[in-house]
Amino acid sequence: MNVVETRDLTRYYGTLCAVSHLTLSVGHEIFALLGPNGSGKTTTVLMLTTMLRPTEGTATVCGHDVVREGEQVRRCLSYVPQDMAVDIKLTGRENALLYARLYGIAAPKDRVDELLAVMQLSLRADDLVKTYSGGMRRRLELVQALVHEPEVLFLDEPTLGLDVAARATIWEHITALKKGGMTIFVTTHYMDEADRFCDRVGIISKGTLLALDSPQSLKDCLGNDVITASIDGTFRDPRVDGVTLFAYANDEASFLAENGREALVLLADGFARAGVRVRSLSLREPTLDDVFLHTVGKPDEPAGFDQTKFRTMLRRRA
Amino acid sequence: MRGVVWYIERDFLRWVRGKVAVFSALVMPAAWLIFVGLALPIRFTDNYLDFITPGILVMTMLSAGLSGGTLLMFDKILGFLPKFLALPSPREDILFGKILFVSLRGLIQATIILVIAVLIGASVYSPLQYGLTYLILFLFGVLLSAFATTLALYLEDHDSFAAVNTMISMPLFFTSSALMPYTVMPDWLRILAMANPLSYAIDAIRAVNAGALPLSQIASLAVLGIVVTGISVQVFRRVTI
Repeated sequence: MNVVETRDLTRYYGTLCAVSHLTLSVGHEIFALLGPNGSGKTTTVLMLTTMLRPTEGTATVCGHDVVREGEQVRRCLSYVPQDMAVDIKLTGRENALLYARLYGIAAPKDRVDELLAVMQLSLRADDLVKTYSGGMRRRLELVQALVHEPEVLFLDEPTLGLDVAARATIWEHITALKKGGMTIFVTTHYMDEADRFCDRVGIISKGTLLALDSPQSLKDCLGNDVITASIDGTFRDPRVDGVTLFAYANDEASFLAENGREALVLLADGFARAGVRVRSLSLREPTLDDVFLHTVGKPDEPAGFDQTKFRTMLRRRA
Repeated sequence: MRGVVWYIERDFLRWVRGKVAVFSALVMPAAWLIFVGLALPIRFTDNYLDFITPGILVMTMLSAGLSGGTLLMFDKILGFLPKFLALPSPREDILFGKILFVSLRGLIQATIILVIAVLIGASVYSPLQYGLTYLILFLFGVLLSAFATTLALYLEDHDSFAAVNTMISMPLFFTSSALMPYTVMPDWLRILAMANPLSYAIDAIRAVNAGALPLSQIASLAVLGIVVTGISVQVFRRVTI
């Protein structure tokens, strides 16, 4: 039986469709929902954690329906929202004990001690959280979430706003938890993290699930080499055979090519013919970023900065 | 129901470690007591301080009760509420925790106000009278905090709650029997004052101080409190973010 199962899960806010007919199943794995800000990731997690009622569709967590069996669902999950909600006027231990007691754990003090040690917070456990760094606060939230040994852990942007080292630590813990038998459902917009640590990813944009597979298969699907061109001035697609443009942003155009080495030369010629000035060309393996841009972002029509349009806009505002 | 205790402990620790907040809530009622209670030239009574003290006590509970909404609003804005709502423990524990915490905190504040009143010349009453006063204040606190906490669930942000807070508390205080007896009020104010739940509590405390047992007022406060709390429990059980 799958841990998380959704069928046509849909949520409207008024007329705005935040999540549209989301169907997915998550087993024992680290699953990441990837998407830009406002794509419906948090809304999905809120529905799965029984805090938001779906407009349409159904979802089960550990076999329990999220609408009808809210309490059973909440018993088998833990939820860490993105806001880093820990009481700064309480100590780390007090923060953790609160949750251990609210969950009704048999020996709350021992359990908290044990988890504080796992999360490397024992030495600072009796300091006020005010003095904790962002990474420590996030680890303390993990302690709070883990006190009752949930079957599935929902993490909303677990590494948002953390430095590189703290992010690595958080992911080490997440990986260890999965090895211990826990299912982890994360949302993130950091592609590199999803690529390295997650078993499967779902790419969501404007509420719709666009792709769902392991990071490797998604990259394999692109199948080709990626060429990035750094453009100086106006950009036009040189339209070279066997080379497809899939993203253009910030003066950087990304192309997919069957054979990268040959395409480099063709592309350079193409640019020269089209009169586009290119600062550099680079060839690399596809990353999850490319998959993401390929699935979500249609190449923007390259348009220059329109001075008159901008002025009219400003005038209208004033 | 055991969750209630832990929610109260959390709020209590946050309160006593806040230092400034422990005293700031007392400034306003103490100022009323001293600057209005001692200074206003009043003809209808010899001891205006004795008259106004019940009003100030209820005012203290009023702002204490409404602060339950502020606490919940911050829990909501800062992301604590979603974490609490995702717990399997009954959601109404969050509500009961807030109601009991702010009501008990209000009683602590009321005690300090009472001590100040006696120090500057208010009459001293019997333990039974003080006991009844506390009961009335507690019932009033439950009514107000249940209302404010539930209201905060529905309001968008802290600004709108603060606005509603001000909008409720000042008119409620001035249209009650806190500052003057019904006999000296203009007719239109008398009608408002008699319908005002603040007046029930104030009149009840005055009756207790005069040696009577104001059963009808206590009963109406209790019934109102139970009804509002009952509705709030239903709201908390069904709440979504």
